[in-house]
Amino acid sequence: MSGHTRLALCAAGAILASLTAMAAPPVELVIWHSYRGGEATAFEKVVAKYNAAKAASGVKITTLPVPYDALADKITAAVPRGKGPDMFIFAQDRLGGWVEAGKTIEPIDFYVDKATKDRFLGSTVEAMTYRGTLYALPFNYKVITMVYNKKLLTKVPKTTGELVTIAKSLTDASTGRFGVAYWYSNFYYHAILMNAFGGGAFDASAKPILNCEGNVKSLDLLLKWADKDKFLPAEPSTALVTALFNDGKAAIVFSGPWFLGEIAEGIDYGLAPLPTVDEAGGKPMRPWMTVEGVYITAGSKNKDAAYDFVKYVTDVEAAKIMALEGRQTPANKLVYDDPQVGNDPVLKVFRQQVETAIPMPNLAEMSMMWTPASSAMAAIVQKSATVKGALGQAQKEVVESVKLLRKVQ
Amino acid sequence: MSQGPSHSRRFAAALVAALVVGVGLSQWALVRARAKENHARAERVALVSLNALVEMVARAGGAGEATRRAVTAFARESSALTAIRVVAFDGLSLEASTASADTGDRAAPRRLAREEKPLYDQGQRLRAAIETNRQEGAARKEEIEVVPSASGGLALAAPLEKDGSVVGLVAVETSPLPPAPITGWLFPIVVLLVAVAVFWAAAIAVGERRGALALVALVVLVVAMFAVGRHANTMVAADVRSSESAVAAAVVAEEARAANVVQEASLGDARLLHPAAWDADHFRRPLGIVGADGKLDEARRAGEMGRIAASTARVLGSFAVLALAVLVWVGFGFASRLGATLRKHRQAYAYTFPALFGMLLLVFLPFLYGVVLSFSDMSLYTSQAPIGDLFTKLWVGLKNFTDILGDFHVATSTAAGLVWNYQNIYWTLGITIIWTVTNVAYGVGMGLFLALILNTKGLLGRPYYRVIFILPWAMPNYITALIWKGMFHQQFGVFNQIIQMFGGTPVSWFEKTSTSLFACIATNAWLSVPFMMVISLGALQSISADLYEAARVDGATRWQQFRSITLPSLKPALVPAVILSVIWTFNMFNIIYLVSAGEPGHSTEILITQAYKFAFEQYRYGYAAAYSVVIFAILLAYGIWQNKVTKATEGI
Repeated sequence: MSGHTRLALCAAGAILASLTAMAAPPVELVIWHSYRGGEATAFEKVVAKYNAAKAASGVKITTLPVPYDALADKITAAVPRGKGPDMFIFAQDRLGGWVEAGKTIEPIDFYVDKATKDRFLGSTVEAMTYRGTLYALPFNYKVITMVYNKKLLTKVPKTTGELVTIAKSLTDASTGRFGVAYWYSNFYYHAILMNAFGGGAFDASAKPILNCEGNVKSLDLLLKWADKDKFLPAEPSTALVTALFNDGKAAIVFSGPWFLGEIAEGIDYGLAPLPTVDEAGGKPMRPWMTVEGVYITAGSKNKDAAYDFVKYVTDVEAAKIMALEGRQTPANKLVYDDPQVGNDPVLKVFRQQVETAIPMPNLAEMSMMWTPASSAMAAIVQKSATVKGALGQAQKEVVESVKLLRKVQ
Repeated sequence: MSQGPSHSRRFAAALVAALVVGVGLSQWALVRARAKENHARAERVALVSLNALVEMVARAGGAGEATRRAVTAFARESSALTAIRVVAFDGLSLEASTASADTGDRAAPRRLAREEKPLYDQGQRLRAAIETNRQEGAARKEEIEVVPSASGGLALAAPLEKDGSVVGLVAVETSPLPPAPITGWLFPIVVLLVAVAVFWAAAIAVGERRGALALVALVVLVVAMFAVGRHANTMVAADVRSSESAVAAAVVAEEARAANVVQEASLGDARLLHPAAWDADHFRRPLGIVGADGKLDEARRAGEMGRIAASTARVLGSFAVLALAVLVWVGFGFASRLGATLRKHRQAYAYTFPALFGMLLLVFLPFLYGVVLSFSDMSLYTSQAPIGDLFTKLWVGLKNFTDILGDFHVATSTAAGLVWNYQNIYWTLGITIIWTVTNVAYGVGMGLFLALILNTKGLLGRPYYRVIFILPWAMPNYITALIWKGMFHQQFGVFNQIIQMFGGTPVSWFEKTSTSLFACIATNAWLSVPFMMVISLGALQSISADLYEAARVDGATRWQQFRSITLPSLKPALVPAVILSVIWTFNMFNIIYLVSAGEPGHSTEILITQAYKFAFEQYRYGYAAAYSVVIFAILLAYGIWQNKVTKATEGI
């Protein structure tokens, strides 16, 4: 070996050594999620890919599965006290509460540029926004759509007019067959009609509007279906709906992706977007959308690194894995341009359905809505109260609860 | 009280202890109050400057060269505020800055750097706060943020508005705060010494009469506390007065400076400034104590002074009560008796200490926290407030309890008959009592009945029966609850199928209060029988066969044997089981929550599920805590009563 080469090698070695010394110290970021089965495997795969790509920079993402029921409460309890993960994945329903309580989740408007924002389905970003500030990047969404038994249904209804005609012809109360089965007495499921009539839970300025005209009209329509057209089963529940569909006794079900896993082997089912509502002037049924977002916690020591991962995990590459292997419906709209995702019979329909979906309110006050609204729904469906009376009562209760919570200290 | 020190010595010691507690705490509170006033004064003066600055910046448009000119002029005029930074949300830009780091290539205007994210987030937070307050028509969220700065001063931030919407932020820092005034210890020490001397003189006159000594000590304590209170009030009032003069001076000075800035940066007419609005609170509401001319509004100030006196009286009053407790505790010999017991049973206390400590940490502290919470108004919005706020800002006293217990609108009579108010605690309590009594009565009756059958000698396959009967108990009760809920389904439930088989019309179980409650009770009855059966069976088997033999020899009938032998022998086992079972059933959350969920319209809620809904659906933590304390009180009263009536728990 000549002197020159030796010198060059030494120099190279010294440069390498100094480079290694300059490389960032290892950073470990923890993310909590509540995935199981296929979703968990797909998610782990995404994380492994990211870690492999980032091996040189010393950043390593560690996942920790936490049961879904416990995750939000653990976050609420741990993060404000300086414990907990750097990131976590959860739906938008607790978002408002976390912001109002403070010290829990990190606003990310500062990081997010327009290009990043634009790659998501618009309403999913809206779900992650509270009082004008963005708190998470949307990961995936769940919406109610129409699931039907291909053997029973020859023509997919596009409007409620068609739906009623078809459903009536498929209903036979004596043998317990129903044209349509869904948990219509549940406020969440009923939202598909309520929102079609322009109703809902809160208006744009966060005021409760349970007794608004749209809600009244939507319930009038539901009562017509239940009492006059009689194509709905009494006292519906998820268990009942599943049982009816699996026994071939319900032709059409309105439900979300969680329902698909419940369908029995051998039932040949198809998906289609929810029909439009003739009674609401041809407006589409509008389901409430639940969006899961990737949040950065307020206590994280490595927010920049965390955001880099959040950005990666909501990008096309990760979204494709989550869609095809995890069977999620990604909030990233660019991934649907991929033929494998875009032509998937299930994902395709959910992608269509999301166009009419509206995000479920992420206000903390939403939790006060459920009990009064459910009571009102039950009373109306069971005819122990009039539509206006029950909704008026529920509105009164919610207004009172909201007033007591928002009371000025 | 025959042995130990004399009464006069003991009361002297008690008085000293009480004075140390009472006067010491008062002094501590006074030091704190003065430090707080010192801080508040600096903050108010800084706010006046900040509000003046914001007005200048807003006039200059909040962005661009005009804003930079205004900020530079302002900084030159006033050295009170340092590190003035103006941020515009649009384009994340730093529009102006007088911070020492922001020179050279970091000089404004430029885009905010990554590490300046907190500044941007703060601006967004203020924007959201203002929008929220406007929407709700209230002042709930602070519109100006004040935090301690790194240099020992204050860091303040105010929103910058343009045409009614928040477009940016003005952040400033102040120079380090002046040190808190020194509060001398001379006065409290003199008070303490004089008080003890007076007591000693009086004690010589009174002699060893316990009642008279106690009275003297009490009078001396009260007078001493009163003196300390007056002293504290005078000092705090003087501090407040000097604060107000300082703020008034600041307003006048700031107005003069502002006029110069307006002229220098050509920001229009200096006569159109709003100095009256500069002395404002964190919600940007003018305090109104200092008028536009820099004069104090005497009426408002008198009100302010009254409030200060009242709050001093409240704080010192509570210390006086504490001191009084110490006086009684030591003076009447409770303290020395406790000391004696501790010394005598040293070993026993040492052994139980770990358990006691564990209980303290895991049971009593959370319990205590719950009780404190019940006197506060904590909700989701205030859940991250520091614990001290529970006693100050969030404290509502007995309001939660009066709201809960004082609401007697159980029903209103309308044209359509009585309309029950299912949210009322007395309705819920009634339901809870029906629920508990029915369940326990059925559980005991049926459990005893089955146990008697199973206890038959030579019964074939007894182990199998026992296993079968215990099964419902072995299953997680929420699974049982969900299965039973399914059985009560209107269309597909087994009960309605049976009813239809016999030609009846199906019942919609959860539509009416009575049927809904029945469904819950039926479910819980199924769950409560096995426990009672196991207890009874165990007790039955421990009854000696000799007793029955002797009874038979004496010619007793089966019924007489049951009444005179079986039942009395069962009592020691059954009574505690019934007490436990009542408490469990009273708080049996799962069944109600899962089977009826309170339907219809909260009418079948029991107290514990109702408390849950207040806490986790309505996020009214304080109210829910008070509700839980009420439940605890009811159960405590029941437990004491039950113990008194039976005296049965002594035997086990």
